[in-house]
Amino acid sequence: MVMNIKYFAGIALGLATLPLVFSSCTEDAADRGPAAVVLDFNTRWDGGDFQVQEVYTDQFGNRIRVDNFKSYVSMVKLFRSDGTEVLLEDFYLMDFKNDNRYTFDDVPEGTYNGMQFYLGVPPAYNKDQDPAQYPSSHPLSVAGSQGMFWHWNTGYIFTKFEGKADTTGTEGADLLHSFSFHVGDDPFLRVFESFDTPIIVERGKTTTVHANIQVDHILGNGGSEGIDLATDAITHTSGNTELAKKFMDNFVDAITLE
Amino acid sequence: MMRRGRLMLALAACLVACGGSALLQDEAVGIKIPAHFPAIDFPEDNAPTRLRIELGRRLFYDTRLSADGNTSCGTCHVLSAAFTDGRRVSEGMQHHTGKRNAPTLANLAWMPRFMMEGGVPTLELQALAPLHDTLEMGFNMMEVIEKLKHDEALTALARAAYGRDTLDPFVITRSLAAFQRTMVSGDSRYDRYAFEGKKDQLSEQELRGLELFISEKTRCSECHSGVFFTDFGFHNIGLYEAYADRGRERVTYDSLDMGKFKTPTLRNIGLTSPYMHDGSIASLEEVVEFYNAGGRNHVNKDMRIHPLGLSAQEMEDLVAFLNALTDWNFVQRTDLMPYETE
Repeated sequence: MVMNIKYFAGIALGLATLPLVFSSCTEDAADRGPAAVVLDFNTRWDGGDFQVQEVYTDQFGNRIRVDNFKSYVSMVKLFRSDGTEVLLEDFYLMDFKNDNRYTFDDVPEGTYNGMQFYLGVPPAYNKDQDPAQYPSSHPLSVAGSQGMFWHWNTGYIFTKFEGKADTTGTEGADLLHSFSFHVGDDPFLRVFESFDTPIIVERGKTTTVHANIQVDHILGNGGSEGIDLATDAITHTSGNTELAKKFMDNFVDAITLE
Repeated sequence: MMRRGRLMLALAACLVACGGSALLQDEAVGIKIPAHFPAIDFPEDNAPTRLRIELGRRLFYDTRLSADGNTSCGTCHVLSAAFTDGRRVSEGMQHHTGKRNAPTLANLAWMPRFMMEGGVPTLELQALAPLHDTLEMGFNMMEVIEKLKHDEALTALARAAYGRDTLDPFVITRSLAAFQRTMVSGDSRYDRYAFEGKKDQLSEQELRGLELFISEKTRCSECHSGVFFTDFGFHNIGLYEAYADRGRERVTYDSLDMGKFKTPTLRNIGLTSPYMHDGSIASLEEVVEFYNAGGRNHVNKDMRIHPLGLSAQEMEDLVAFLNALTDWNFVQRTDLMPYETE
């Protein structure tokens, strides 16, 4: 089953509720007993599998090879029908070279009608924050962020998507054209939400949620606004905020749950 | 006249084991600042102590912080040039040239935002910038730590100074900032004239230059204001009609900030040639000529930049005054030099 997706740029309300989330999670877990939820992110290309460092052809005829695709996912939450929420995890740095399958062991059982997470790092943790304040195991630390923060500025790079392409349409040509998307900063945070199909969490059982990322859709296949790497190949946010915005809009729109 | 800077955090002296036998004892210390400077507002997690400053000083001059092992902070920030390097743009590791002129490090303890576009909020965080810049030191902080972790003396110093298990990003960023906050400069002939009542410290020509500097005619002191000779603001001075370096626009995305750069201090300006964000003007005389001509046309140019109509004599007087802002004691301070040269 595929759920509908909505996204919102505004996140202020969600942030204001964060301190409550931690306490409600702990209390419920103690009262009602643990059950597991697995959140499994998979990258897809035009209905099939997608792998970093493999070559694919996009709808513009560009042959592309993504060499590095990383993204922060943060504030992964489940919602109950009464509006209460459970925070599963605060920060993940996903490297799409690897599997991105996360298991949450202590989820309060019950029926949840929605899931939400951010693509990026919310404002309270982003600008003017110091990566050196975190232990090295933390995804926002100097080590854990794996270079996903701007050193000449402040703030985390929410998503890196970079590699090589051939944009000449010449069969067998080498992939010589670099593309590089480094997108971050508060205006480019995106919220993924899905509220259409219940997620049932039962004691002693594992509920798996598949989050599929249609990488071809990020570049504009299937209705999103097109990003032709022949002309729109580079944004480090600063310098091309329009392209950064388009990338993140497409990215959040490219995610479906099943 | 000097006094002790106030400490935000009282630190008890502590004893920490070093290499199993030797003991390192840390203690809170004050930073000497001129009486006419405001107090330093130290970060809560980085009040100055003797060992924090010592560790920062050792790291500042340690070439192991660069990928090729040849570049330290002190390579581009040389004390005798008020912590600049005399180059148009700096030469980092493997002779890569940077994109900007190395700024002075004097009086960073009072700087509200760092980097020329002001993106970095603290001196602690600023340390990450050159360390990671591939044109400067070209190194990842974690690789630096990997290289330094076998240095037992440095690790013991890190433990004693910050009470942490190891030399980590927190310790490196904090100690470098602790050392840099000791780079206080406020003892020029101008300071003695203006704040210590020593009227013989400035010559007739320098006094004429001072009058011009604060005059309605030049309005220099409106941006180069206060005891630090900077408003810490961002201005487009019409250096170019089209800027290759976008300046403050890089962090605000606002086209009105295109070509705006943080006002630099003028303290020790006679020692920090060449000038401008890209080092494109070689001498103070040429800088004054540039301002006198009124800069080039740019939609964001500050309205105070326009032809000034200064005579040759007036321009010479201004330069003479600017040269009186050199603090010769600062650039000879042994406690700011590498340990081996002390």
